[in-house]
Amino acid sequence: MTAKKRRALLLVTLVVVGGALLALVVTSFTGSLVYFYTPTEIAAQSAGLAGKKIRIGGMVQEGSLHKEPGSLKIRFLVTDGTTQLPVRYEGMVPDLFREGQGVVVEGVWPTEGDFPAGTILAKHSEDYVPIEMSQEGIAKSKQSLMKSLQ
Amino acid sequence: MWIEIAHFATIAALLVALTQIAAPLVGITLGRPVWIRVGRQAAFTSAALLTLACAGLILSFLKHDFSVAYVADHASLDLPIFYLATAMWGGHEGSLLLWAWFLSLFIAFAAWRHWRTHPLSIPYVLAILGTVLAGFLLLVIFLSSPFERMLPPPPDGRDLNPLLQDPGMVFHPPFLYMGYVGFGIPYAFAMAALLTGRVEEEWILATRRWTLFSWAMLTTGIVFGAYWAYYELGWGGYWAWDPVENASFMPWLTATAFLHSVMVQERRQLFKTWNLFLITTTFALSLLGTFLVRSGVLSSVHAFANDPGRGVYILVFMAVLLLFSFGLLVAKADSLKVEARLESPLSRESAFLFNNLFLLVATATVLLGTLYPLAIETLTEAKVSVGSPYYNKVFIPIMLGLLLLMGVGPVIPWRRVDRTRLLRALLVPTLAGIGATALALGMGIAHPYGVATAALIGFVAVSHGRDFIAALRARTGRSGDSILLAPFRLIGRNKRRYGGFVVHVGILVMAAGFIGSGLFQEEQDLLMKVGDSTTLGRWRLTFTGIGQVSRHNWDAVEASFVVEGPGGQLLLKPQKRQYHRNDMPTTEAAIHSTWREDLYIVLGDRVDDRWAIRCYRNPLIVWIWWGAGLMALGVVVSLGQGRGLKRRDS
Repeated sequence: MTAKKRRALLLVTLVVVGGALLALVVTSFTGSLVYFYTPTEIAAQSAGLAGKKIRIGGMVQEGSLHKEPGSLKIRFLVTDGTTQLPVRYEGMVPDLFREGQGVVVEGVWPTEGDFPAGTILAKHSEDYVPIEMSQEGIAKSKQSLMKSLQ
Repeated sequence: MWIEIAHFATIAALLVALTQIAAPLVGITLGRPVWIRVGRQAAFTSAALLTLACAGLILSFLKHDFSVAYVADHASLDLPIFYLATAMWGGHEGSLLLWAWFLSLFIAFAAWRHWRTHPLSIPYVLAILGTVLAGFLLLVIFLSSPFERMLPPPPDGRDLNPLLQDPGMVFHPPFLYMGYVGFGIPYAFAMAALLTGRVEEEWILATRRWTLFSWAMLTTGIVFGAYWAYYELGWGGYWAWDPVENASFMPWLTATAFLHSVMVQERRQLFKTWNLFLITTTFALSLLGTFLVRSGVLSSVHAFANDPGRGVYILVFMAVLLLFSFGLLVAKADSLKVEARLESPLSRESAFLFNNLFLLVATATVLLGTLYPLAIETLTEAKVSVGSPYYNKVFIPIMLGLLLLMGVGPVIPWRRVDRTRLLRALLVPTLAGIGATALALGMGIAHPYGVATAALIGFVAVSHGRDFIAALRARTGRSGDSILLAPFRLIGRNKRRYGGFVVHVGILVMAAGFIGSGLFQEEQDLLMKVGDSTTLGRWRLTFTGIGQVSRHNWDAVEASFVVEGPGGQLLLKPQKRQYHRNDMPTTEAAIHSTWREDLYIVLGDRVDDRWAIRCYRNPLIVWIWWGAGLMALGVVVSLGQGRGLKRRDS
């Protein structure tokens, strides 16, 4: 092989490998995005969500936490002050999961029934509020909802 | 009083840092070396002043001076003395001061060390690093001051976040910052090289040890963070692709690329522009890491508050740095012409090229996943998160590709290799890889990634081992060294190369840990009452009791488990702790580590007469920590060799 050919081969390999890697990144990326909604936003557009992995954030409604005796199954309502959304979950809950506290639940939107949370993310310390769960975040999503209604 | 001393020392350090920028530049313009000397003295002075400032802040903690708002927010009378002193970097304000302090120490050390050897670069290095230091001090003084008084003082402080009361978390930030800050020195030398027009290999040789040291610190810092997450957060894992973890990982990836590609410039005078680009990017990403963590723009465990002012400041600071660096790079592009050329796809330099390609794609992957949600949130009303499946999908293939290159690169020659020589170098390692595949399949590993990792570990280990043994044979044949001493003599003769080998072995060990714990973790969520048993892998766990324990600053519910395993019986006691000064309960997992796997038990809530229990079997997880130890050891070996260019192959 001549020097020229070797260099060309190097260039081609570089482009092919780089292209394959970028393709891997792009395809993995588009499938891994998880959108975040408030219960009110869900109420407005739940039809298109079936089968999609989403996050829902709000507060655990006071008095709504129901534990099924003899199991780790729980049910509760997530509220943003306007709309409540029933959620079910099975497993150990985080340390900071309580009624009246902020929460984000992640799961696949079902075709019917309560939202089956696969993961519960609770508020992590008194200083820390995920942007999604802050009052500002909730107010913002309400605004956008109002906008879309108008 | 101490806090005022600290405050004034910081303000004085800012003024001195401004002198450190101006004086050397004046010295160059006027051709008066005495001014450059002033700049050097300024570097020493600001290091001394900032040492005083940090001491003052730490003393305020030790004296429980709750009239200092920062102390009141991050300490209490109950806090043990060790955490009291280290609470100095428990929040944004103090940790930025720590950052600045490290930077000033490194500048002073560089000014002392490189004064005689690099007289032409030193003025620019002082001015550039002085600018970075002044930038950080402005931030500390005006936007993020740990020195503010709060009057009247509260009787007791709010205490340090219980999650941060852990040795892993105490050492995580300083190591990380030493890494971040350390890259500032090679960066400044690179810029000085552009400004003086001496863009040959000098700046790389001058800063080789700085780069290695910073890389080792960053590696250790990241691993400390992972270790902390594993032991303290109680979710059975160590890495969640949290934006803040990503922030420290990105400069690590580009720094790793830099460590490799500088060798190509040293030996073949290639990649000149690329290396300048990499070091600038690494330092910029270090700043971005600080920005992401310390501005609170991310919704993450680490972002404790929102402070847009700080964020905007660091963003502008970074923009200036990037514009300056890349502007300079473009302006001086003419001087960066390269005469040598890459000759063949089969050569060591091309292995390095692909190594860099993989690492840069990895960086882009993390950058995209970290910044995309921020961009979406800023540009639209939607909120989105990028989960770990994305990273896992991309990173495992990248890791496998890098392992393959790691097995090939070090054992093939520069310039080009012919087919017979390539075959000779890789035949035995390839057979070893096939052997490892068979072994993995025999052990019942079915996951393709598990098998591929095992194969590549075999391949790389044997390619390195064979190279080492061949060199050893040559040496014992020539010098007649005894078989016991010869390996050490050989390593001593070429510390750079074999230090690198040790780092590579550390990475192999770590890769085994990643794959073992990532693909083969077993988890059980149970409701147990006292007397219940469960089986997890080779372990049989019996819940034998529940009780209360107290320490001076926390109470806890503690469960007892008798665990029967291959090594006999042991007692594990997971806790749920309630710190007195804090609302939130914290989980203390009980962990039993063996070389094969960790048993990890977490205590949950009470449900009637039973308790929620989660237990994990985490295979090979300690290999990650051992691998990190080997990597650090390898760097220590490699640091033993001073600068110096042994041979040029062009």
